[in-house]
Amino acid sequence: MSRPRTGAAGLGALAAFAVAALAACSAPGSSSGSASTAPSDVSTDLGTEPIELTLYDGAGLKNVDEALIAAFEAQYPNVTITGRYDPDDVQATNAPRVLASDDPPDIARINALADIVGNGQLTPLTPWSEAYGWDIPAGQLAMYTVDDDGVRGSGTQYTAASGFVLTGLYYDTDVAEQVGMTTPPTTLAELEAAFADAKDAGVVPLMVGNQTGGGTFPVQMELNNQLGAQAINDWVFDAPGATINTPEAEAGVQTVADWIAAGYTNDDANGTDATTALGRFTQGEALFYASGNWDATTLQEQMGGKVAFVLPPVGEPGGTPMAMSNPVSNFGIPAKSDEKDAAAAFLDFLLTPEARQVLVDNGFAPSGTGDAPSTEPGSLNESIQAAFADLVEADGQVQFVQDATSGINTVWNQQSQLLFDARVTPAEYLANIQAAYEEQLGR
Amino acid sequence: MSTLDSTFAGEAETALAGSAPSARARRGRGWRSRGARPTSWTGWLFVLPALIMYLVFVIRPMIATIQYSFYDWNGITAATPVGLANYTRVLTDPLLLASVGHSFFLMIFYTILPVIGGLVVAALIQEIKMRGLGTVARTTLFIPQIIPGAAAAIAWVWMFSSNGAVNQLLSAVGLESLTRAWLGDFTWALPSVGVIGWWLGLGFCTILLMAGIGKIDVSIYEAARLDGAGFVRTFRSVTLPGLRQEVGVCVTVTMIAALASFDVVFMSTQGGPGTSTMVPGVLIYELGFTRSQVGLASALGVVLTALILAVILPIQRFFRED
Repeated sequence: MSRPRTGAAGLGALAAFAVAALAACSAPGSSSGSASTAPSDVSTDLGTEPIELTLYDGAGLKNVDEALIAAFEAQYPNVTITGRYDPDDVQATNAPRVLASDDPPDIARINALADIVGNGQLTPLTPWSEAYGWDIPAGQLAMYTVDDDGVRGSGTQYTAASGFVLTGLYYDTDVAEQVGMTTPPTTLAELEAAFADAKDAGVVPLMVGNQTGGGTFPVQMELNNQLGAQAINDWVFDAPGATINTPEAEAGVQTVADWIAAGYTNDDANGTDATTALGRFTQGEALFYASGNWDATTLQEQMGGKVAFVLPPVGEPGGTPMAMSNPVSNFGIPAKSDEKDAAAAFLDFLLTPEARQVLVDNGFAPSGTGDAPSTEPGSLNESIQAAFADLVEADGQVQFVQDATSGINTVWNQQSQLLFDARVTPAEYLANIQAAYEEQLGR
Repeated sequence: MSTLDSTFAGEAETALAGSAPSARARRGRGWRSRGARPTSWTGWLFVLPALIMYLVFVIRPMIATIQYSFYDWNGITAATPVGLANYTRVLTDPLLLASVGHSFFLMIFYTILPVIGGLVVAALIQEIKMRGLGTVARTTLFIPQIIPGAAAAIAWVWMFSSNGAVNQLLSAVGLESLTRAWLGDFTWALPSVGVIGWWLGLGFCTILLMAGIGKIDVSIYEAARLDGAGFVRTFRSVTLPGLRQEVGVCVTVTMIAALASFDVVFMSTQGGPGTSTMVPGVLIYELGFTRSQVGLASALGVVLTALILAVILPIQRFFRED
C-alpha cells in the first residue's frame, strides 16, 4: 500500500512535536525540595470563624476516622472536617503525590515518613507540641520523629498516631482444650510444647497465610526475642549501620525454619492468603493464628467466646514482652496545608480521653497515656486492651520490619515464601534481606 | 482481560487511523482535478481533536518515560541525571531478566495454546453451526472475554486454592496425589498463571478465527465436501490457509498480552511465591509506585516496549507476506 503524502507530513509533524517536547523538558521534579520549616507563629485558639479541613486516610479506617471527626467537631463547632478515603494500599502509594498537589489535605496518614519528610512535604510539629504541652511516651514519640539525616526514631516530631495496632497470637479455646493447652503460652518453650501437642492431635499448630507474606510474622516474633526492641526499631528507622544479618538473628529465623520442617505450619502456607488463613482459623482448623487487633472484630463475630488473645511469648522466662505495634494512622500536617493550627488541634485531640475511647471502641489501642478506656467485660477486646497496657508498660512496642523502606515489604514476602519452601537457609534469608535493605537505602 | 481488550482496541484504532488520511487524500485529488487549490489544513482540522488527545495522552507520556529513564528520580523531588545507569541495571539485574524470561514462558499459554485451541474450536463450531448449536458454544467460549482479567484472576485464585475446584476435580478422579496449593508452589505457580491467561485468550482467538472462517467462501467448503474431504482434511486444506491474516492478528495481540501481562499476575500471585511468577509489568508498577524508583521503572518500560516491538514486527511481516 502506498502511503499518501499527507501521512508522511503527519509523521513529520509528530516528529517535530516530539523533538520540541523533548527540548522543552527540563529535569523532572521540583527543585525546591527544601525541608519545610516550622512556623513561628502558632495558636491553640481556633476562634469562632468557620474552618474547613480535609483528612486523607485509607478506606479501611473510615469508621474510626469518622467517629474521631464527629467527636472533634463536637468540641470545636466552627471546624468541619471532610474525610477523603482511598483503598488502604492506594492511599499509601499515592500519598506523596496527593501531598504534592495544589490542593492537599490538611491532615493525612503518612506511611513512608522519612521519605515524605525528605521530600519537604510535612510540617514540623514542635511549636504545637510546646504550645499544647504534649506528653507522649518515648516509645510512641519515636514513631513520630525524623532527624536531619532522615533517620527515624529521634529528632523533630512530624506526626501523631490516632491509635495503635497490636499484634499477637489468637488461639482457638476449643482446640486448646482438645490438645490439652490449659494456659496460654508465655515463653517460647511453652509455645513449642503447645505446637507439638497440636501436631500430635492432628490440628494445624499455627495457621499462616504466606501468599500475602504472613510468614514474616512468626519470623519477626523470634527476631524480636533474639535482638530486642531497640535493635529492630533501629533497623526499621534506618539508623546508620543497622543490620539484621547477625548470628542472633539467624538463630531466631532457624527457630521458625525448624517449625516449618516439623510441620507446625499449614503445608500450603505459600498458597494461602491472609483472608483464607483467617477463615480457616475461625473454622477450628488451627490452634494459633498470628495477627493483629484489626482482626479482633471479625474473630469475635465469627467465633464468639471461643477465641482468645495472647502477646507473643518471650524467648526466655522473665524476658520483656514485645510485639509489633505501630500507629493505626500516623497523621501529619502537609507542608502545603493552609489551616495548620486547626489541623494541629485535631492531633492534640487524639490524646484526649474522648479520642482514646473512640479508638478502643473501634478495636484499636489508644494513643498517649491515661486511664484505660472502658471495654465490654469478658470480651476479646478487653483482653487485647489489657495486653496492650502491659506492652506499653514494658516499653515493648516494636515496629514492623516490613516498614523499614518503601520497597522492603516485597522482599520480606518473597524471602519468607522461599523460607517456607526451604529454598533458602536462615543465613541466606537474612543476607538477602539485608542486601536489599542496603541497596534500597543507597548504602 | 483489560490487557487483551486494550491491545485489541489499539489494533482497531490503528486500522481507523490508517484509513482516515487515505480517504482525505482521495478527496484532495478530486478537488485538484477540478482545479481547486489543495487545502491540506482543512483535513487536519477534523483530525485535530483526536490528534491533541493522542499527543497529550499517548505521545507525551511516551517521551516523558524515555526522558525519566535517564534520571534517578523518586517522583517528587529534583531528579539526578544518571546517564545509562538505569539501562545497565535493567540489562544486568538477574531479577529483571528473569521476569522477562517468565513472560516468554507465559507465551506458551497466552499465545500458542489459545491460537491452536482457537483454530480447533472455531473449526468445530463451524461444523456445529450447521447443526444449530453454534450460538451456545460461541457464547460460552466468549464469556471469559467479557470478564475483567482482575476479576477472573480472583475467581481462579479460589479455584487453584488448596480446597478449590481444581483440587476437588483431581480428587474426584482419583488423582489426589497431584493436589497442591497451585499458586503457592514454586514449580507450578507460573504454569497456573498461564492457565488463567489461556482461559482468557481462548475465547478471543476463537471469535476472531470464526469471523475469519465466515469470510471463506462457503462454496469452497461445499466443494471439499463433495470431493469427500473429512473434518481434518477440510481444516488443513481450506480453513487454515484461509485464516492466515486472522492467525497473525491472534498471535500479535496475545503475544503483546503475554509480554505486557499485569492484571492476572498482580491479582493472583503478585509475582510470588518468591519471584517465580514475576513479570515486567508487575515489576514496573512495583518499582515506580511502591519503591518510587521512577527512573528505573521507566527504563524497564522502555526496554519492554523495545522488546515487544522486536518480537512483534518480524511476526507481523511473516503473516502479511502473501
